[in-house]
Amino acid sequence: MMSKKCRDIESLLSAYLENDLLKEESENVSIHLDGCSACLAKKEKIEEIILKLSDLQEEVPFFLKNRLLNIPDMIEKKKPARLLFFPKWLAAAVGTIILFLNLFYFTNIFPPVNREVHSLVSSIEKFFVKTGGWFEKVKESKELLFFTFFNKKSLELKEDKASQPIANEKDFVKGGRNG
Amino acid sequence: MEATEILARCKNGDHEAWNMMINSYSKSVYNIALNFFAERDIAQDVTQEIFIKIYHNLDKFREEKSFSSWVFTISRNYCIDYWRKNKKYLVNTQELDEKISVGKPSPEENLLNESEIEKLRKTISQLEPELRLILILRDIQDLSYQEIAKKFSVPEGTVKSRINRARLKLAEAFLREE
Repeated sequence: MMSKKCRDIESLLSAYLENDLLKEESENVSIHLDGCSACLAKKEKIEEIILKLSDLQEEVPFFLKNRLLNIPDMIEKKKPARLLFFPKWLAAAVGTIILFLNLFYFTNIFPPVNREVHSLVSSIEKFFVKTGGWFEKVKESKELLFFTFFNKKSLELKEDKASQPIANEKDFVKGGRNG
Repeated sequence: MEATEILARCKNGDHEAWNMMINSYSKSVYNIALNFFAERDIAQDVTQEIFIKIYHNLDKFREEKSFSSWVFTISRNYCIDYWRKNKKYLVNTQELDEKISVGKPSPEENLLNESEIEKLRKTISQLEPELRLILILRDIQDLSYQEIAKKFSVPEGTVKSRINRARLKLAEAFLREE
């Protein structure tokens, strides 16, 4: 069983070894160590361990150093390409607005708001119908233009072919490849 | 070049600055991990993860704090977290290693200083995580009590008493074996 004196001395061992005690305290420890083999053994073991601990420092292995040096490249490669800058707060705001609009559109909690939302939706629909019609018209006129242009070209080609003399009359005599 | 300058250049994606940072801090981080876990493979993986974390958090570093303290805080937190998550597995492997070494005493191995170092590391890894870290900084990395106190944000007296406790525990463990 360890005495109180031994416990007190133990708590001072590191400071004693590092000359961090007052002269009087240091002398008390020395006197105790002369008469207590258990504390002396601990003190000697600590001295031995401190010496050995300084040998535990190691150099970083070269392959690990290479791995560490490549961290920026490794992380940059893993990052997905950012196509569009769309901040999170903006996404959250847009999402919330859409959610509220849906709520007011499908429920009749606030009738005036509901009416407003419905009229807004109908005006958007009208706009789409109008622009849709306009797009259709543009598309049609575009097709018409293409058709006229290409048709004209193909007609010209046909006319050219018709005006050329028949290259090999024998083909007609033989009645073509299949006779 | 100052640490703050290296850091500023790292934030701007300067590879040369990152290389400087690795050259300055990798040894210290690796030795913390190696002596904390007493396993080379784990220490290497942990060191890599710590630097990945540092790279990701470069923007979060505030210049009023010392950069080495910031690196140490990340290393300490990562080591303790890893230890807590894998405690069961880590303790089992250590016990297994001890059984193997007891079962196969090789006289050649006993003569090697390397085995003594490994034994010392294994004993350190059985201390409480905080004691382990303080001991690594003081007796392996040779930091002053003042520097350690700053890193742990505790009074110098607390560091001294913890160091003494860690050394005593190690000494008792070795004396029990003799």
